[in-house]
Amino acid sequence: MKINKYVDPTGQMRLEKKSVAVLTMNLILVLIAGVLSACSPGAEVITSPDQLNRGDAKIGVATDTPEFALVEKRFPKAEIVYTQDLMGALTSVAQGKIDAFVGNKLNMELAIYNGLQGVRLLDGTIGEGNVSAVAISPRTEIPDLKGKINEFLKQIKKDGTLDDIRSRWIDKRDMVMPNIAEAKDPKLHLVVGTTGLSEPFTCYVNNELSGYDVELAKRFASWLGASIEFKIYDYNGIVPAAQGGDVDCIFANLYVTPEREKALGFSDPTYIVDVGIIVRDAGSQNGGGIAGFFSSVKESFEKTFFTEDRWVLFAVGIGTTLLITVLSIILGTLIGFAVYMVCRNGNRAANAVTRFCIWLIEGMPVVVLLMILYYVLFERIKLSGVTVSVMAFTLIFAAAVFNMLKAGVATVGTGQMEAAYSLGYTDTKAFFNIMLPQALRHIMPTYKAQIKNLIKATAVVGYVAVQDLTKMGDIVRSRTYEAFFPLIAIAVVYFILAAILIWIVNKIEVRAIQGADLPEMTRRRARSNDRAGTS
Amino acid sequence: MIELVHLEKRYENSVPLADVNAVINDGEVISIIGPSGTGKSTLIRCIDLLERPTGGKIILDGEDICASGYDVTQARRKMGMVFQSFNLFGHLNVIENIMQAQIDILKRPKSEAYATGMKLLRRVGLTSKETNYPDELSGGQKQRVAIARTLAMDPEVILFDEPTSALDPTMVGEVQSVIRNLANTDKTMLIVTHEMNFAKAICNRVFYMDQGGIYEDGTPDQIFDNPQGDRTRRFVRRLKVLEFTIDGPDFDLAGAETEIGGYCSQNDISSRAKYRINLTFEELAYHILRPVIEYAPVHIAIEYTEKDESTEITASYGGEKFDPAESGDGFSYIVLQSTVKSLSHQYNPDAEQTNTIRVLI
Repeated sequence: MKINKYVDPTGQMRLEKKSVAVLTMNLILVLIAGVLSACSPGAEVITSPDQLNRGDAKIGVATDTPEFALVEKRFPKAEIVYTQDLMGALTSVAQGKIDAFVGNKLNMELAIYNGLQGVRLLDGTIGEGNVSAVAISPRTEIPDLKGKINEFLKQIKKDGTLDDIRSRWIDKRDMVMPNIAEAKDPKLHLVVGTTGLSEPFTCYVNNELSGYDVELAKRFASWLGASIEFKIYDYNGIVPAAQGGDVDCIFANLYVTPEREKALGFSDPTYIVDVGIIVRDAGSQNGGGIAGFFSSVKESFEKTFFTEDRWVLFAVGIGTTLLITVLSIILGTLIGFAVYMVCRNGNRAANAVTRFCIWLIEGMPVVVLLMILYYVLFERIKLSGVTVSVMAFTLIFAAAVFNMLKAGVATVGTGQMEAAYSLGYTDTKAFFNIMLPQALRHIMPTYKAQIKNLIKATAVVGYVAVQDLTKMGDIVRSRTYEAFFPLIAIAVVYFILAAILIWIVNKIEVRAIQGADLPEMTRRRARSNDRAGTS
Repeated sequence: MIELVHLEKRYENSVPLADVNAVINDGEVISIIGPSGTGKSTLIRCIDLLERPTGGKIILDGEDICASGYDVTQARRKMGMVFQSFNLFGHLNVIENIMQAQIDILKRPKSEAYATGMKLLRRVGLTSKETNYPDELSGGQKQRVAIARTLAMDPEVILFDEPTSALDPTMVGEVQSVIRNLANTDKTMLIVTHEMNFAKAICNRVFYMDQGGIYEDGTPDQIFDNPQGDRTRRFVRRLKVLEFTIDGPDFDLAGAETEIGGYCSQNDISSRAKYRINLTFEELAYHILRPVIEYAPVHIAIEYTEKDESTEITASYGGEKFDPAESGDGFSYIVLQSTVKSLSHQYNPDAEQTNTIRVLI
């Protein structure tokens, strides 16, 4: 009886706790749903392009595309807004932040075909279409690459291969990558830049890089008798990469623009892209209330992680993010520590050099440092994006470790050092046995915070063709046309990764303290002694 | 044996040690006294090479330890230093503080280091604090642990840099008694201190430092009771007599009372006598002489005589005759009169300070 009395309330307690947790979760989801649906002020329904030609209309176009000129010509009164990527643009339209988006009509058709809600494609096209072609790096070492590509294009146009490719990817939307024989005994090596962000030209299907342009590239390499290697950038980074000679050519449904023609060579057209206008569809609201919201979350979850086994992409991304973070932490700690040891005794030259380097590293945005290393300093020796990322974050972390050590040791005070000296310690021994253990107590909390910062900061490595977690999220987003869900998923993963790293550091910290070189007997009653009577 | 030969230490803006010469024999217990800023601490920090002398020689057992190429840790192993601010290692508990250097430097096995540590803790009376951390100890306890830590290294010479001046007056005694016990061993000791009676009791030699060197070197009896140099005489008098001038109603009386407290503990004045001195001062300064303070500075001198344990407090001031027995706060005067041995007022129109009140406690 007695036991029961004790067991029952506990059981209830647990139940209560659980239901509280469920309630809280529900509340959060409802709040999110509320916020999402709140962004829908009643606006005039747009049915024809002419309605957009007014002063208060905002029309989005992607940066660095010919659409800008088109929109300026067609809607001289409207305000033009630059958007970073297609997904962001479409979400902005659906949420009413911009009135319309002008871009690749095929991309937008596919987005709607794939279930994007809240937007509608206007009939017809504007302009005569954008010419996309293969871009050729001015620094490629393959002789007459442009001529060879044009020759290849002519040939496949003639024998009907191009029409076949076109019908499969674009008209039928098969999304199946055929097997293309790789060149045997390749004499050349072709490095192709692409984005994986533009369905159906370059995208990930079943976690494989696929698409119209990708197939073209593979067929070309085979025709040329070259081995092929793809490097992934986003549309902002791909032109500089080709300019710097990072890749030989770009197969990414890249538009030919006058600016790009100044920097790169272009082949004959590979495709003419129709330009369409997408507007907000006021009619289709996320109806169905909370139940509808839940089912759409479930659907998003499946689309983001399980359709085509996309979780594999996330797993690879997590691996890359972890690799860069962990290596940078280890190397950064070692280098920061080594530099501190050199500077510790006030060597003027060493201190001046260190101060300058730290000033340089800390003064720059991480992205800029990363790009300078990748595109300027190591451009010639062609280091991989991961290597350069590790270098950049190692430098950043080393600078942080150096500063932490400096501040941490300063808090311990010179008295401790003098006491050690007077007991006969040498300088080095005093530092390691007396100063460092005390300084570490001040340093560890900051160190852990730095680790969290570092793992978040690595999200920019996509700029140098590294496919980390964030980049993988972009790639998945470009297929699922979901803005909200992959982002939340990525945020959660970053939280988890940071928690795991901190947990490991804590483990090491505890072990280091327990493993201190003094006998157990002196530790036993430590701290548990009553503190009374000390005054 | 330590020989100091033309020892000099200059900083950019000051020269604490201009020319120091001395021979310190084994087993001597020397107290170093002198006004602040005369390089007392600098001297013993130089001997331990925590400060690098800028000139001269320090010869320890026949070797010049300032010579380039000399391994300073060799010299430091023969010497131990006790700091004003204790400098116990914050990350280690009491027994570890004592053991660590034995293990790291003397390479003693842990069991031996522990045994030595416990023996020394017993000697300084702190075995019960074995596993406490420094931040759980009082100042006096910290300093006793620091002394034990120094002793664990078996130094031939122990340098004390104002070992009690960071302590609460109530804790000075416990540290002094530990040092006093040490003085009976054959260790050479140099102690920078201001506690005259303490110095008298344990030292066989006193350095009075002034003007960048050892101004006077002699036995405690000579330095404290029969100083030869002018500056020594003035300094010793200041140790014996506490003097200050209340120069107006805004004077920091609370600060003066703290000074009186310091003076009392310096001279080992009993707490009862201390209470009386404080009471007398309060009655004089807050009540009896209140009207005088408004218009004239009042000079106060407190002098304690060890022989009959009496204290004389003299208050002198200028202006016209002001006899508190006749004017002013009569009640306070009566209270004061009833608690002291004697209370008198003198008026001398020819003296600089025309009025003088003498109180004998």
